[in-house]
Amino acid sequence: MSVAWIGSQPVPLADAVRTAAKLLASSRCPVFSLDADVHGTRSAIALAAVLGAAYDHRSGDAVAREVALFTDHGGMFTTPGEVRRRSSLIVLVGDIAPAHAELFKGWGGSSPDLGDKAPRRWFQVSASDRPTRRGKAVVKAVPLKGEGLSLNATLAVLRAELQDRMVAAPLQNVERLKKAMASAQFPVFVFSGGSLDQAGLVMLQDLIVDFNSRHRLSSLFLPDDDDAWGTVLTSLWMTGFPPRTGFINSLPSYDPVRWDVQRMIREREADVHVWMSARGGEDPPKRGSAAVIALDKTERPARGAAVTIAVGEAGLDHDGVRYSSRVGTFTAVRAAEPSPLPSVSAVLRQLAEAMPGKGTLIC
Amino acid sequence: MKALTFTLINPPEERLDLSILTPSTLAELTRNEIAKLRIGTSRRPASVGDLFKITGSDPANIIFEGGHSRFDGVASGMTGGSIRLVGDAGNQIARAMTGGSLYIDGSVGRHAGSGMTGGRVEIRGNAGDNVGGPLAGEITGMDGGVLIIRGKAGDYAGDRLRRGTIALCKGCGDYPGYRMIAGTIVILGRSGIMPGYLMKRGTLLFDRQPEHLSPTFLPCGEPDSPFAGLLDRYLISEKITDRALLGARPGKFAGDNAVSGKGEILYRKKGR
Repeated sequence: MSVAWIGSQPVPLADAVRTAAKLLASSRCPVFSLDADVHGTRSAIALAAVLGAAYDHRSGDAVAREVALFTDHGGMFTTPGEVRRRSSLIVLVGDIAPAHAELFKGWGGSSPDLGDKAPRRWFQVSASDRPTRRGKAVVKAVPLKGEGLSLNATLAVLRAELQDRMVAAPLQNVERLKKAMASAQFPVFVFSGGSLDQAGLVMLQDLIVDFNSRHRLSSLFLPDDDDAWGTVLTSLWMTGFPPRTGFINSLPSYDPVRWDVQRMIREREADVHVWMSARGGEDPPKRGSAAVIALDKTERPARGAAVTIAVGEAGLDHDGVRYSSRVGTFTAVRAAEPSPLPSVSAVLRQLAEAMPGKGTLIC
Repeated sequence: MKALTFTLINPPEERLDLSILTPSTLAELTRNEIAKLRIGTSRRPASVGDLFKITGSDPANIIFEGGHSRFDGVASGMTGGSIRLVGDAGNQIARAMTGGSLYIDGSVGRHAGSGMTGGRVEIRGNAGDNVGGPLAGEITGMDGGVLIIRGKAGDYAGDRLRRGTIALCKGCGDYPGYRMIAGTIVILGRSGIMPGYLMKRGTLLFDRQPEHLSPTFLPCGEPDSPFAGLLDRYLISEKITDRALLGARPGKFAGDNAVSGKGEILYRKKGR
């Protein structure tokens, strides 16, 4: 089975690596779209630093929205373990990513063993103007919504009502929520970056801060994509900045507009694009004129790529370390079906060694 | 003396950081020194002389003949003098500007007037998102001066505005006046959803009744206040409008009640 292609032609891995290294070495503005486990991400950022490249996650917009809550505003957060053990009142905000359904099922079938130890109650803040996009609910929750209100408008009204301020359109079941919040020792609002836009995320955190002047209240952030959040944390410990960071004179610079890799490709600023998809199932973006080096979990050359190298997935083809929102930190994962496919990290190290005068990656 | 003029020779292949080309930084430099200034941001960055033909000698008056959406940071940190750009510009124009005047005869990208504390900026075309808004990690947005967009602005115009005036002459996208702390935003034409969402204080002025308000804004009737007349005179004297914007007894909403309810939205009543 081939693991490397130049254009659509199968080639030995060493040839593909050499061609990719030549493209990168001659590039004026290389960019990376990351999607790998922690080792792959570390190697990619180290290579970007050597090259003076910019990097972003493959799901750049969704990640940037989640990151913006932390860089532009901040918030009060707790961990999944604390919620499971202490919280008798959980308020879901919007549609939470289906990947977290198992987490909710586990909580739904148990009661807190610390704090007030009362049976768990569930509410859900949602928009009335559109049906839920993410399938059937996994827990039965009391709806908090108002006639004709968007999710952001609903959150604004909820925040005003919790402070007993006047509003033009009331919410259903808000008195029930107030009563429940008064009796619960550790109420928690659960949200993910995909369920709210930037303004909604800020409104939610301000609501939590307001309420904390009288009563305890926290929030649990569940990333829309665990691997993407792992990339954010890895980038933070390596450079001090989350993705959408570029290197100028070897120094990292964070700018979510300037280093938006999809925009750089669309507007033809980037000339070489290292595109990763260690989980497979995606094709590189069509637009732009950048030469694509695809590190893809694939059995065929990636569409439109100058060089494609097949890579394995951490936790499936090889061991690795991935972020898990279930435990709120990184976890080691063993290969479920070990295969000879190289890891993203291994390929990037070979690429670095093939670069003229560059040598090994320091990471 | 003739204005120091930068005539664009070729469109740039990379984003340029033009924050160094302001009257105060160019005052002490010769033309040769200016030509050697590095403004490119890629691995092989261009210098001023690679992209511009330089003529004139008065650094207090700078003219860019030809613009591009990759011209970032035009008039960034400007303290005095004047800059005129004939063409488009990129992101963060007039960033942290404290004085002087900037005129752009085209459209601009995101974060125009971010962190500006003084001076006057006029943009003939459209502006991107976050007009006057803070960059990542900053507490406040625009903190003084006058920023006029003659075209349409994008989303989140006036994010965390703390002081000064922003005028959007052909409408704007969603969330104008988002997280506004104080100051004044004038909007002529249609605006997107939720004007004033999360605003603490400050004033949003419309030439018509705003649509899609958050339910945390409440109508306050038509208060008879001398403020409307004063403001109309100010807008005409600053050449932002050529006729009264609000007129007598404008309509008023107060909000955002989700925050403190101390902000206000004033609008011209239909038929007045």
